[in-house]
Amino acid sequence: MAVAPSVPPEPVSQAVRGRQRRQREEELLVWPDLVFVEFISAVVFTISMLILSVMVNSILLDQANPNLTPNPSKAPWYFLNLQELLLHMHPALAGVIVPTIALIALGAIPYYDNSNEGQGEWFATARSKALTVVGAVVGSVGSLLLILFDASKHVQIYESLTGSVWPAQLNFLRSLRAIQTEIAWPDSWTKVPLGSKVLRTDLIGLPTIDLNVNLPGVLVEQIIPTSTMIGLPILLSIVAWRARLARSRRDHMILMFSGFIAVYVTLTIVGTFFRGAGQNLVPYSIFIDAEH
Amino acid sequence: MATTEQPERRALGDRLYDVAFHNRVWRSVFRSGYPNTPRNQMLVVATNVFLHLHPTRIHRTHVKITHTFCLGGLSFFLFLGLTISGVLLMFYYVPSIDRAYTDILALENNVRFGLLMRNMHRWMAHGMVLTVLMHMMRVFYTGAYKPPREFNWVVGVVLLVLTLLLSFTGYLLPWDQLAIWAITVGTNMVGSAPILGEPNRFVLVGGFQVGQSALIRFYTLHVIGLPLLAAVFMTVHFWRIRRDGGLARPL
Ligand code: HEM
Repeated sequence: MAVAPSVPPEPVSQAVRGRQRRQREEELLVWPDLVFVEFISAVVFTISMLILSVMVNSILLDQANPNLTPNPSKAPWYFLNLQELLLHMHPALAGVIVPTIALIALGAIPYYDNSNEGQGEWFATARSKALTVVGAVVGSVGSLLLILFDASKHVQIYESLTGSVWPAQLNFLRSLRAIQTEIAWPDSWTKVPLGSKVLRTDLIGLPTIDLNVNLPGVLVEQIIPTSTMIGLPILLSIVAWRARLARSRRDHMILMFSGFIAVYVTLTIVGTFFRGAGQNLVPYSIFIDAEH
Repeated sequence: MATTEQPERRALGDRLYDVAFHNRVWRSVFRSGYPNTPRNQMLVVATNVFLHLHPTRIHRTHVKITHTFCLGGLSFFLFLGLTISGVLLMFYYVPSIDRAYTDILALENNVRFGLLMRNMHRWMAHGMVLTVLMHMMRVFYTGAYKPPREFNWVVGVVLLVLTLLLSFTGYLLPWDQLAIWAITVGTNMVGSAPILGEPNRFVLVGGFQVGQSALIRFYTLHVIGLPLLAAVFMTVHFWRIRRDGGLARPL
């Protein structure tokens, strides 16, 4: 094959040539080194999927019946974290606003942490492993404690330890919702009139609506959950910063990301295995359902 | 074999290869010779459209399994496997609320390897959600999202969402109690959004409750809409990996 005569190359300095040579020596050929690894991993994965599929059958329950709601009804497992959130806050917050903001925040990570620190290697920065562990432990233990609190487990523990009932004057601390239901909020709080000027339904020819706001409800369903979800991560960040554990942006990102993953996993596990009939906090298996 | 380089000492394999494939048909398909010299090995990667997803050379550390755990590659591999098993499932499945459930029953009981096919498709779908999530964690902890790879991380987040949506739309298709109620719970979450929630839920489900319109919408999204979108974003994802100079390395 005739090789086209090429333009003579620019003279390259000795140092540059040395660096280029060293880089070349660090490199392998994709065929065979990478293609081989990929091939083996594809074969191993195919075989394990095949074995799994021979051994474990997919679930098929009775034919769909729109008039028969199973108890509990559950979303697919990777959305059970959101369904878990649904039990503790306003549905708009749990079902739409939180996941939307979480995805935007996830996408924004590289634009916030845009240094080259710790690039291209596992846990390359100092303290990165410690930050991962701290984030993961705080995230999972924290979300678990909040779930137990909202299920009034602290009341049960108190009662079984002391043998006496939970003091009546602390009834509003039984769960998050109790703050709304166990305090005698005055009517001026539970029915804050916004009048008919907020929703101008009259403009499109509909009857006017007098809008009232239930402040304790807003507090319990929106204000407390939102401040918890924003406040606790910020608090963790500040504590880690003051403790000189998290210094750079990469450090804070490791802390937050690890915490996020831990919360995601914890909520998913609780939603999958510990929410039974009526979404009560009891052990649950989808396979038990599948057998009837 | 004038045009391809030959190794200095030809082994038995090289000779056999010559005997078997030194003909015009084979050489019209594969232009480079047997990959037995560095030059031929690079040519094989550079001249094959599929292998050309890769560069011809790659840094040592990126070949180590413990750097990527093959997770991105496995996600892609699962996507391909799901496409194949999905096409096979489509032969037997009609997206109508009168037939869907019985089609699945018939697939499991009357079709040879039908149950195995359904199991493969289902476990690979769960597996893909897992590998994509773990791939994201691997990219994060190796700090591989940093400039110039910011945009590819964003493409990744889109791929994560598409993967979840693919799995979610597939969940409805068996039309059993698990399917319909999971989708009811999920789409009700969409409906709870302020202002735009209910109209969005209505469009997604095609009515007030999950029924025939929902089934055909989810089916169409599941078998063509979302896979096409995912394929487009994967193309961008892989292209950008090459454009950004291969996998991230310490500076
Ligand atoms: C369907 C889903 C996905 C597929 C098929 C996919 C595929 C791949 C492949 C094959 C690689 C090459 C290296 C490796 O195998 O790890 C890669 C790298 C990468 N992926 Fe993904 N990916 C997906 C989702 C994601 C997600 C969810 C993210 C992040 C949010 C992401 C961000 C990246 C980045 C930044 C790189 C470059 C890594 C580096 O330079 O070391 N990808 N992806």
